[in-house]
Amino acid sequence: MTRYLIQRLLAALVTIWVTTVIVTMLIHAVPGDPVRIMYAQWQASPEQIEAVRRNLGLDEPLHVQYWMFLKRVAKGDLGRSIQGDQPVASILKTRFPPTLLLATTSLIIAMLIGLSLGFVAAYKRGSVIDVAAMVAAILGVSIPHFWLGLILLFTFALKLGWLPVAGEDLRTLILPAVTLGLANAAVLARLTRSAMIDIFDQDFVRTARAKGLPKAVVLYRHALRAGLVPIVSMMGLQFAYMMGGAIVVENVFAWNGVGRLAIEAVFARDYPVIQGFILVFAAVVVLVAVVIDLLYAWLDPRVRYS
Amino acid sequence: MALAAEIRSDAAAEAAPGRAGRFLATLLRSPSGVIGLVIVAALVFAALFASWLAPFDPLQMGAGRRLTPPNAAHWFGTDEFGRDLFSRVIFGAQLTLRIGLIAVGISLTVGLLVGLVGGYAGGWTERILMRGIDVLFSFTEIVIALACLAILGAGLTNAMIAVGIAAVPFYARVTHSVVLVEKGKPYFEAGPAVAAGHLRMIFRHLLPNVVPPLIVVATLGVSTAVLAAAGLSFLGLGAQPPDPEWGFMLASGRELISRAPWIMFFPGCAIAVTVLGFNLLGDGVREALDPRQHRA
Repeated sequence: MTRYLIQRLLAALVTIWVTTVIVTMLIHAVPGDPVRIMYAQWQASPEQIEAVRRNLGLDEPLHVQYWMFLKRVAKGDLGRSIQGDQPVASILKTRFPPTLLLATTSLIIAMLIGLSLGFVAAYKRGSVIDVAAMVAAILGVSIPHFWLGLILLFTFALKLGWLPVAGEDLRTLILPAVTLGLANAAVLARLTRSAMIDIFDQDFVRTARAKGLPKAVVLYRHALRAGLVPIVSMMGLQFAYMMGGAIVVENVFAWNGVGRLAIEAVFARDYPVIQGFILVFAAVVVLVAVVIDLLYAWLDPRVRYS
Repeated sequence: MALAAEIRSDAAAEAAPGRAGRFLATLLRSPSGVIGLVIVAALVFAALFASWLAPFDPLQMGAGRRLTPPNAAHWFGTDEFGRDLFSRVIFGAQLTLRIGLIAVGISLTVGLLVGLVGGYAGGWTERILMRGIDVLFSFTEIVIALACLAILGAGLTNAMIAVGIAAVPFYARVTHSVVLVEKGKPYFEAGPAVAAGHLRMIFRHLLPNVVPPLIVVATLGVSTAVLAAAGLSFLGLGAQPPDPEWGFMLASGRELISRAPWIMFFPGCAIAVTVLGFNLLGDGVREALDPRQHRA
């Protein structure tokens, strides 16, 4: 168990290290002069551009740049944005809470709908309910988030007037959270169904049934827990994914999270912000992956003892 | 001779004539496969015969009055420039198919190469390649795509490249895992004994085994690619005006959502149906190629 954990942590560290290298290289991969491209919209004088180049350390050799970058990042300094000249770390900090709120709410919605739909479909395999649930699920994975978002916005905010289109109100959370929640629920429902069907067919479940345990106990104590492993892993991925800002949905609903920030930065070619975003995002994903591994070990004894 | 016959891989045996016929028969027996096939065929038809099917030039402004709701002359209505939306949606099929095929082509080629080389070579080559793929995997597709666009700049071609590169880790992993399974089989160890060269091992034995799962991944991959590229165009990072690209049309419809909701409705429908078609076809192909795991 300890060895397994150490291995996973080492892998996580390698991932973050590679990310720092990639993020440093990013700006050099830009065809042409990145500083000129960044300031193309700002009419900067050649002297200003030269000053920016020095500030970003772009006139130093690559290994020196990388070392400087590492030293800064270790101190929590992610550089300053081109637009507005603000510390990237504090921009990310203000944009993070809305994304966290949206991601958490969506995941809860996805879990409630996806798990129950998938479970019932597996339990009533081959029935009308099963077919209906799976048709709904495949529609759910096929409909673009941004379109679903616009349809919901049109129906519930514009036509029915039940919800606000925009504003500071917590009710503005409902539509983006439902949009994302439904999309993720569809994926979860399909996965839950197939995982549960796999489990129902296994010997230990059949043995438990044969022992005369009530069906509900078998499902809850044996099947659900064993079947949860791939599902937990998928939910972790979905959460990590949304922490990168459900980019499109945040844009549809003008939700001021990191996803919207990322798009603004790509448009403005604001490289320090893009670099900071990728680095922090990779760190979040790696962290979530480690947490999932811990959950794995807890859910599945085979992992714990190998 | 006897030995050579014995070490023939499963794949070679399965490649006997009639396999394609059996595949097609199984595909046509699954409801999802049939529906998917019909949708994809309709999409290809629309793309091929767009100029014949569309009543107007998709770029012609003032084909009707501006912002006309759907009616007999303009089935899907007109947009803010008076362009016929039905014609634009039909021509959009061409762009969408091109995006899907090019993006999947990129992911497939690079992913197959990385997975094959990594798995076949083993040792450090494998460790470095697959570790790199793991790292990319943890970035998630959208971030890889954004990073690519941050480097390349916005535009439809760049969006296709970005979406293609973003999915490489997935294809590489599938290829790699199949190669590992094949490498563990006795025929593979016997290969050098009958002096089978590297190329022969790769092309005769590994590729035929790698192709079936990759067909499934690629079919489902088209739907992911179409969805991702439409999303990028929706954000303004992909197709540029006046391209009749569905995601981009949806974005312009968003501004006019209260006055002319049909502008965002029909392109969205087109994307959803296309993605659904490839998803169903992918499910059907998976069932046909591997009857054991048709439940997922």
